[in-house]
Amino acid sequence: MNIAVCVCQVPDTASVIGFVDGNGDFSRVHEVMNPYDEYALEEAVRLREHYPPCEVTVFSVAPDSAKEMVRKALAIGADRAILVDHTVVSDPYQTAIALSRAISVFYGDVLPDIVFCGKQSTDFQSAQVPPMLAELLGMGAVTGVCSLRFSSDALQVEREIEGGIEFFDLHYPALLSAEKGLNIPRKTSIKSIMEARKKQIDSYSLSLDVDPYVAMTGLKSLDRKKRCQFLSDGKELIMLLREKHKLF
Amino acid sequence: MYKYLVFLEQRDGIVKNASIELWNTLQQLAAVREDVTVCGVLAGAVDLHQLYDSLAGNGAVYHASAQGFTLYNSERYARLAADIFKREACNALFFADTILSRELAPKLSIRLKAAMLSGFPLFDATGADSGTLRPVYSGSAIASFHFQSPLRIYTISSVPILSATSSRGHIDFIPLQRPFSDTEEEFFPLLRRMTMREGRPDVTEAGIIISGGRGVGGAEGFVLLEQLALLLGGVVGASRPAVDEGWRPQSEQIGQTGKTVNPALYFACGISGSVQHLAGIASSAVVVAINNDCHAPIFDIADYGIVGDLRLVLPELLCALQDFLKKQ
Repeated sequence: MNIAVCVCQVPDTASVIGFVDGNGDFSRVHEVMNPYDEYALEEAVRLREHYPPCEVTVFSVAPDSAKEMVRKALAIGADRAILVDHTVVSDPYQTAIALSRAISVFYGDVLPDIVFCGKQSTDFQSAQVPPMLAELLGMGAVTGVCSLRFSSDALQVEREIEGGIEFFDLHYPALLSAEKGLNIPRKTSIKSIMEARKKQIDSYSLSLDVDPYVAMTGLKSLDRKKRCQFLSDGKELIMLLREKHKLF
Repeated sequence: MYKYLVFLEQRDGIVKNASIELWNTLQQLAAVREDVTVCGVLAGAVDLHQLYDSLAGNGAVYHASAQGFTLYNSERYARLAADIFKREACNALFFADTILSRELAPKLSIRLKAAMLSGFPLFDATGADSGTLRPVYSGSAIASFHFQSPLRIYTISSVPILSATSSRGHIDFIPLQRPFSDTEEEFFPLLRRMTMREGRPDVTEAGIIISGGRGVGGAEGFVLLEQLALLLGGVVGASRPAVDEGWRPQSEQIGQTGKTVNPALYFACGISGSVQHLAGIASSAVVVAINNDCHAPIFDIADYGIVGDLRLVLPELLCALQDFLKKQ
């Protein structure tokens, strides 16, 4: 079975992003693997362990500096990795196009059986790439999967919705995006890190002949500090919430 | 001419409030703009009388009520929405921001070759060139986005609270015949079944959230929060420590590793205000913080604060609220 996992890098939440003239200054930012992608990768590696033979290939639209993150993915258990040139990509649509092209080039005529993605990336939280990628590849998809049951001819997944759970049946090939809590991602060991050094990372440079659908035109610090009005008791609060804000 | 199509999301035979509020707000816009019309598309059987009473303004709602539309099916729903969008020559497709729309809208973006933006408040739906704003990077920054296609898809996370009830006009429910009445074909992924949790709405759909953290001290402490939620018509939420301790269920967890919420009113009780928690409440309108520690970071982003012991502050607040409501 062939499994593809799409991973990306995001700024570590604790990192401070600087802002200069409508652009972000990421010089002091530490980049890490998108936390949601860790769940996707872990699930792929588990399937590989339980149902051999299986090959897990990681795809990442990221700069060369992401090689460290990609080596970590290999240490977690992926077999090889493809790093896709990120400079041509500026919105989720182009990212999805780049990934679909890389996947098509790598696998040729036969699509991978499963494509795993993280539900969304913590930087922009648009959650658009996985469903777009599925549509471009012509695969069925379920996003935000919290539980997965695998058999040789079908998949059964669960996902949380507002106030409940949905249960889906899927055929192969399928794309799944992982919700937090799908599994508990493993830690890498010295041994796995050493083995990862021997695994192959290829770079793809694709020319994209499509324009982005959306352009991000300005980035500013969001000053969330408000002037907190301290109150001494509940009565005052109730009056304000009711009379001033009409909240109830 | 702007022709807006609103996807009215139905689950269990009930159209979601978020979809109705979105329709009503867009109808208010259409009432003052001659160049804007609003129509809707609805998949699945619902109580049409009840829906008619909830929807304001004038417009057609295209309704596919055949059995195969009852449960969500991404391929079937996508074909329906795309077909109506093209047939009615719409420019923009609006969804309430939900699990369903986050899955369906990007698929439609590819099919309709439409630019999409997800999870932002209904800021300026007329496609003005000033760009559309949304918090990014866990709420530490705000970015403006421009569409690069004349066709647009939006998933809207919150609509402004309507100041006046919109006028009732006339809604035309137009039942859709073939091919939307033939639903023999099965499209995978197939939704086999759905189980709904009993009781209160999900935190992601709540307008008022009374949230508790480590400072609540235990599961019993949350009883006061539940009482407050009941009186105000809200739901209870929790920060990660409270869930990790087992005091509240995972479904109530709010924050970076939990849910992102956008209520009109958010009470943070015994919550210190870590970056990870704030990431989940960036879009809250009014924040009230109650904490023992006057230096807690939560007070930096709260509109109102009470410094004190929750076990004293909350009962007093509940009493005052009960008195106030009795006098109404």
